[in-house]
Amino acid sequence: MEEKTLEEIIARYDSPTGKVLGILGDIQRSEGYIPRETLEMLSVKIDVRISQLYSIVTFYSFFSLKPVGEHVITICMGTACHVRGAVGVLDALESLLDIHGDTTEDGKFSVTTKDNKFTVEIARCFGACSMAPVLQIDGTLYGYANPDTLPAILEQYGWRAA
Amino acid sequence: MTGVFDRAAGEVAGQKKILPGKPRIAVGLATCGIAVGGEKVYERLQEIIKKTDADISLTKTGCIGYCREEPLVNITIPGKPLVILHKVTEEDAEGIVEAVKKGTVPYKKALCRVPSWDHVTGTVITYGNGFDEIPLYADVPFFKHQKKVILRNAGFINPEDIDEYLAVGGYATAEQALTRMDSETIISEVEKSGLRGRGGAGFPTGMKWRITRDAPGAAKYIICNADEGDPGAYMNRNEMESDPHMLIEGMIIGAYAMGAKKGLIYIRAEYPLAIRRLVHAIGEARALGLLGKNIIGAGFDFDIRIATGAGAFVCGESTALVASIEGRTGRPHPRPPRLTDPGGGLWGIPSDLNNVETWCNIPVIIRNGSGWYAKIGAEKNAGTKVFSLVGKVDRVGLVEVPLGTSLNTIVCDIGNGGAQGKKVKAVQTGGPSGGCIPVRLFDTPVNYESLNAVGSIMGSGGIVVMDEDTDMVDIARYFINFATGESCGKCVPCREGLRHTLILLNRLIARKGTAKDLETLALLADTIKNTSLCGLGQSAPNPVLTTLAYFREEYDALVKP
Amino acid sequence: MTQGKTGTELAEPPKKPVTVSINGNAYRADEGECLLTVAERVKIPIPHFCFEQSLEPYGACRLCMVGVVHHGKTVMETACTLRAKEGLTILTDTPDIVKYRTILFELYLAEAPKSAVVKEMAARYGVTKTRFLRRVDTGDPLGGACVLCGLCVRVCNEIMGAGAINFINRGPYTVVNTPFTEPSRDCFGCGACAAICPTHAVRIEDRDGVRILHSWSETKVPLSQCVSCGKYFAPAALEKSVLSRIEPPLRDDLAGLCPACRAKKLAKKEILAATGGDPGDA
Repeated sequence: MEEKTLEEIIARYDSPTGKVLGILGDIQRSEGYIPRETLEMLSVKIDVRISQLYSIVTFYSFFSLKPVGEHVITICMGTACHVRGAVGVLDALESLLDIHGDTTEDGKFSVTTKDNKFTVEIARCFGACSMAPVLQIDGTLYGYANPDTLPAILEQYGWRAA
Repeated sequence: MTGVFDRAAGEVAGQKKILPGKPRIAVGLATCGIAVGGEKVYERLQEIIKKTDADISLTKTGCIGYCREEPLVNITIPGKPLVILHKVTEEDAEGIVEAVKKGTVPYKKALCRVPSWDHVTGTVITYGNGFDEIPLYADVPFFKHQKKVILRNAGFINPEDIDEYLAVGGYATAEQALTRMDSETIISEVEKSGLRGRGGAGFPTGMKWRITRDAPGAAKYIICNADEGDPGAYMNRNEMESDPHMLIEGMIIGAYAMGAKKGLIYIRAEYPLAIRRLVHAIGEARALGLLGKNIIGAGFDFDIRIATGAGAFVCGESTALVASIEGRTGRPHPRPPRLTDPGGGLWGIPSDLNNVETWCNIPVIIRNGSGWYAKIGAEKNAGTKVFSLVGKVDRVGLVEVPLGTSLNTIVCDIGNGGAQGKKVKAVQTGGPSGGCIPVRLFDTPVNYESLNAVGSIMGSGGIVVMDEDTDMVDIARYFINFATGESCGKCVPCREGLRHTLILLNRLIARKGTAKDLETLALLADTIKNTSLCGLGQSAPNPVLTTLAYFREEYDALVKP
Repeated sequence: MTQGKTGTELAEPPKKPVTVSINGNAYRADEGECLLTVAERVKIPIPHFCFEQSLEPYGACRLCMVGVVHHGKTVMETACTLRAKEGLTILTDTPDIVKYRTILFELYLAEAPKSAVVKEMAARYGVTKTRFLRRVDTGDPLGGACVLCGLCVRVCNEIMGAGAINFINRGPYTVVNTPFTEPSRDCFGCGACAAICPTHAVRIEDRDGVRILHSWSETKVPLSQCVSCGKYFAPAALEKSVLSRIEPPLRDDLAGLCPACRAKKLAKKEILAATGGDPGDA
């Protein structure tokens, strides 16, 4: 991220209330993750220890230090979705994309396909429980997801069956 | 720049939009409506109306709560009842416009008709009569037992237009409170109403307001907890997306009563549409002199700021929430000091924290009086509550009923029992902090004490239905896995206790567990519940404790003989 | 003795004496005094890891739970957050407390299996083994002895102000270390983290003029060498920081000298001054 862009983001927050998470959220949304250099630049600009910022970024699920692929698929694993088969949807998704995800030692779940086209992550609840199971791709929600409807959805994002 | 407050002009403008003297089509565009194609329906309708040069007003509205039937579309033909169409697709758009142009509606897509609607804050909108073959709203099984107080405007007004909120009585109560009532009167009314915190703890709201107001120091904060972390619960999301102004109005009244100049809404990052609609609504309110300096000309300054969360369920806990706003990790701290004590709130200033839904009740209480409110609901449990009825239930959606309504009524009468004809086995109330209640206890009234008595909690209002195919030990593991992932990790019983509880459950499910393991499971659950630092740890074992109590046979079946 | 933030205690009004009851015996305390402090003072054993006098009660270890008797009912609370007031009645070994404390110690034994301090403390309260799976981490920079009490983080950030280390991740994935698990640029090697760690898990080594903080990603901090005797005596950055807060001529008397040589120099100065010699000759 360019220094000027970061300064513009920082300038949106005129009060310490909600500032740090707000700035980090804007960076995450803009870049898809938090680049290390941006975090270090931010530490200097807002005078907060890098250890504190790193602690925050690793604590909250919303932030990622790893770059993501072209498209980010987030599967909801909330209660309503779990009860309606979200685990099966995740398994089917991993099978179609030929990836295997697991919670890593930082407690987060994020796995990217070898060709860097898709990153699969997990969310705790989008609040669209009435159409469980739910998945989100690049910010668009898809309700009533099931293994059979997945290929058609993925194809819209450039996936092709092997 | 604060504008000058003039209700009248906006109210008149809003009335003309709701009843424009020509046909009006309103597409339900809250998150679930959009997730099943609502936006495409809107765009197609827009296209056709333009192409055919039809004199039809097209707008968007929120969600009336019958989520299973989304996308929903309202049709208002002058002189006729408002008609709600359901499961509308792009392909239906042409037929809709054609019918509307002829002064009618496509009967095949009609769910129900609404001859008039009481918006509970002093306004009744009369639409008209006719279309008698279409069922009345009050006769639709999903709606029949509901009582709309909080969701009084949801699905009827355009949430992005303050004029429509004004047209249904909006902000008249704030005006009344700030110009003709004093702090003591307002707080006393809230106390007498019996309103209890709708975030789950059920603490008497009036009492919390009084404590905040009386805390030492002139500076106070009021905070809205819009983190709604319980998976399966989305009441607050709908409240904010469908009627953001009722939250703002409630906070204005509360701020005035408690003497707070600054209000904060802490909202989860996973609700981008709610955030957008709130930001827009706050802008509209400022422009109309409802926020900022000398609001409503009453000599009182107050403004609202939004702070976003970042994916941490624990930030629904009050001290963690405040830490998050202050730019720290969401690790709770022991009390005292409480949020309302000096040194304990946001930036050390006494702060009142209330859930979205609690704030949304305030305008109706002040408008209609504490006596009116106290009559709704049950003893010590006044008012209505919105519940999200989800999972393996036939009619999925948001249900608003008076407190004290039984689980039977909610799950069977309103929800119509199990989806696809399956038998209902249990419900989980209160999210991951709650417990599983078996079907044989469904005559339990839904109120704070009764749910506690059966080992669960009311929580924020999520009701997840489970059927005969649901494995209850798997459910217990699901919740422990959730709690483990969301634990802040500060205290040992929660961090280490849940870690080992998960190991035990996995061992049991893999059929490698013993009877001793079941004993340890119960002892661990008991320890975590009684020694954890905060509510997350203290309630995390509830799913295990209730499934052990009510579904012991499923655990026993997994254990080596 | 009052609880409060470090270093900024002003002169306080006299404390009102109160009587509290612990396990049926009456004890004197100052009103508002922290119960854990009272118990320690009167030698009643209550276990704890995360309590530190100069910091606010933290509430992480949960070991100091006691039963507070009120209107015939006993409610469990942490002693570190209880304040003495007239008539406060507590019990330290109710059956419930013993039950929960046992499980907690078993959890500690599983979490920090290499810690002698944990083993010894648990044994004092009757817990010598654990039914839970022991943590196995052969590469653990804290030697399998960390109980995540948070004291090192809090001392580094809130008292020393360096902010070199902090919590990373959350829940069972929580660890304490430097950002990106790389040597810290903010650490000035004071060693307060190791001094305060209740399980002695933090490993620091002084070697060849360098302080190596093994636990914090092998952060290396140069040590100052005494210009008189050649001994390495303090981290250079810490010495510089301390000297910057002292006015001359004292500053010049102390700069570059180890404590022993400082004492010698100052003593010489005083003797010369007292005997009419030139202190500048010291």
